[in-house]
Amino acid sequence: MSIATGRAAGPSTSQAASRASGILGRVIAHRTDYLYVLPALIVMLVVIAFPIYYTIELSFFRTPPNLQMRDKIWTGLDNYVTVLRSPVFHEVTINTIIWTVASTLVAFLLGLGAALSLHREFVGRGVMRALLLIPYVVSAVAASYVWKWLYHSDFGVIGAIAVQLGLTSEPINFLDNRQTVLASLIVVNIWKEFSFAMVMLMAGLQTVPEQLLRAAQVDGASAWNRFWHVTFPHLRGVSMVTVLLLMVANFNSFIIPFVMTGGGPADASHIWITHIYQLAFGRQQWGVASAYAVILFIVMMTLGYFYVKALTRGDENRAGG
Amino acid sequence: MAEVVLKDVMKNYGSLYAVNNVSFTVEHGEFVALVGPSGCGKTTTLNLVAGLIPMSGGDISIGNRIVNDLDPKDRDIAMVFQNYALYPNKSVFKNLAFPLQMRKLPKAEIEAKVMQAAKILDITHLLERRPRELSGGQQQRVALGRALVRDPAVFLMDEPLSNLDAKLRVAMRSEIKRFHHNLNATVIYVTHDQLEAVTMADKMAVMHGGVLQQYDSPANVFANPVNTFVASFVGSPAMSLIPLDVVGKGTDVALKSPEEGWELPLSAQNARKATASSQGTVVLGARHSTLKLHKSPVAGSVPGKVYTVEPTGDVTFAQVFVSGAVVNVSLEPTAPIAPDEEVFVEFDQQRLHLFDGQTTNALKAA
Repeated sequence: MSIATGRAAGPSTSQAASRASGILGRVIAHRTDYLYVLPALIVMLVVIAFPIYYTIELSFFRTPPNLQMRDKIWTGLDNYVTVLRSPVFHEVTINTIIWTVASTLVAFLLGLGAALSLHREFVGRGVMRALLLIPYVVSAVAASYVWKWLYHSDFGVIGAIAVQLGLTSEPINFLDNRQTVLASLIVVNIWKEFSFAMVMLMAGLQTVPEQLLRAAQVDGASAWNRFWHVTFPHLRGVSMVTVLLLMVANFNSFIIPFVMTGGGPADASHIWITHIYQLAFGRQQWGVASAYAVILFIVMMTLGYFYVKALTRGDENRAGG
Repeated sequence: MAEVVLKDVMKNYGSLYAVNNVSFTVEHGEFVALVGPSGCGKTTTLNLVAGLIPMSGGDISIGNRIVNDLDPKDRDIAMVFQNYALYPNKSVFKNLAFPLQMRKLPKAEIEAKVMQAAKILDITHLLERRPRELSGGQQQRVALGRALVRDPAVFLMDEPLSNLDAKLRVAMRSEIKRFHHNLNATVIYVTHDQLEAVTMADKMAVMHGGVLQQYDSPANVFANPVNTFVASFVGSPAMSLIPLDVVGKGTDVALKSPEEGWELPLSAQNARKATASSQGTVVLGARHSTLKLHKSPVAGSVPGKVYTVEPTGDVTFAQVFVSGAVVNVSLEPTAPIAPDEEVFVEFDQQRLHLFDGQTTNALKAA
């Protein structure tokens, strides 16, 4: 009610103000409205805007390990140059890309397979669904510790089974080997994430119109053709959202590599976030770590921008006509 | 084109019989409407013919071939669905081409057949559009086209007009009728709208509770309903039904209102029917056009009280309470009649219907 009265009270002043100074004028004209959202706005500024600003600021200075800001030294883009020239940066970037693409792709495909098999009715479907949901609901830290033991070179079940089956002569040292460590971590990540994709796609499958599938059946489409021509196009929207969410989560992964290997051996399993963490809180290189974070932020925002654009364009197409 | 024979067809889900012992024959080139209220088993019956759900018992043959265990695609049928079921991500052309593509026809042949179907249905200018860019009527025509390209033995249509607005429905009704006429196609058409069934079909199969009630031409179903359900379902407004007691013997038989005590003497023919009732009670049925209203009693009339008067333009319907039942009577638009008026309803002994009060089946002269 008071919003309406506020507007009605001064239409002439609001018009004059908006002509005078655009956005600011409109804010002043709607000052009561903005007063209502002010508390939320302040919280947002404190917890989101300030850390972003602080990180950007740090990235242009060399700051002592004790974070005494008055002793910081302006270095311009030096921190960025350091990052981009560092061989570790390239290794970590490649790791991050492999980690993100492989995890997202395989977790999505596994989730799709699981959702499709759970969509048809069979005995024990409820139990199966509950079992497949476990990875999603288990704490990531706990799961990481369990997997660490499964992979263990002396006590690990996986190594022992491989030996008993005669696949290897002695247990593979999954996590202490530069060649196997990243792949081993990706397996854990996929295990953790595929049930998220499964849940999303199961929800999507519920919305596929039964009549379309029946029409396709009468039209002579095989099970595969019904999937390819009806079900899959219908899942396009939910698939894009799922892939986007998985990609963002994977770019920002921290728990699994940090708990299981801490980025080792010899930086072989570092991805961006673990590496930034190590630079900042392990070596107190605040400036370099912040420069890393800013680069990551820019990459994420660019990716996100294009993805959201692609998503909404699809929606406009669907809504149009 | 082919004939379709259903013999003792059953479909049950546990103890619930969705389709119970349904048998009828659709002759080659015939348009048959499956009609009934929602939940009567008409769509289930259609899906059984299509092979989309497995039968619990009985036989279905299409063109002298038992198809009980055949997949939908091998039954030589095409289906048109209630909400069109067009593939939303494909153009109209690709929608029409899809069934042919699935049958792996050569590209040139697919194109020729699609163009031919598009020409018949006058949708050539829409071929590049997506379904969402079409109006409801256009979408329905594309759905018909997708059925048509296959040149199937039987067309199955599941309430194809119920998503359209009233005006378009009437227009599409005649288009589908024309479509059937031009192709000389065998059509099984499901609808809950008895008017659609009456206006379009050569024969109608009235279903209720999974059981086939009557299978005959619309004219015969209208003139000789086999029970009170069919009598009240077919025709608009519905046939009026009044439960009454049978009194008297031989040829001197009358119907007595258990509530109001009046008696309506019956003709000799009707008397023989009434005495055949199982428990001495009947349901008297009469269509609105066979009834007359009088301000004072005449021979063969019974008392009633006007409830509402509904002018519709060229005819006015009066609803009259007779022995606790509502009776529809059609009148001249200028008829001087008002609610709450005491009137007398005259029955036409030649055209009234008598049903058994117990079994609700139409009574035959004993």
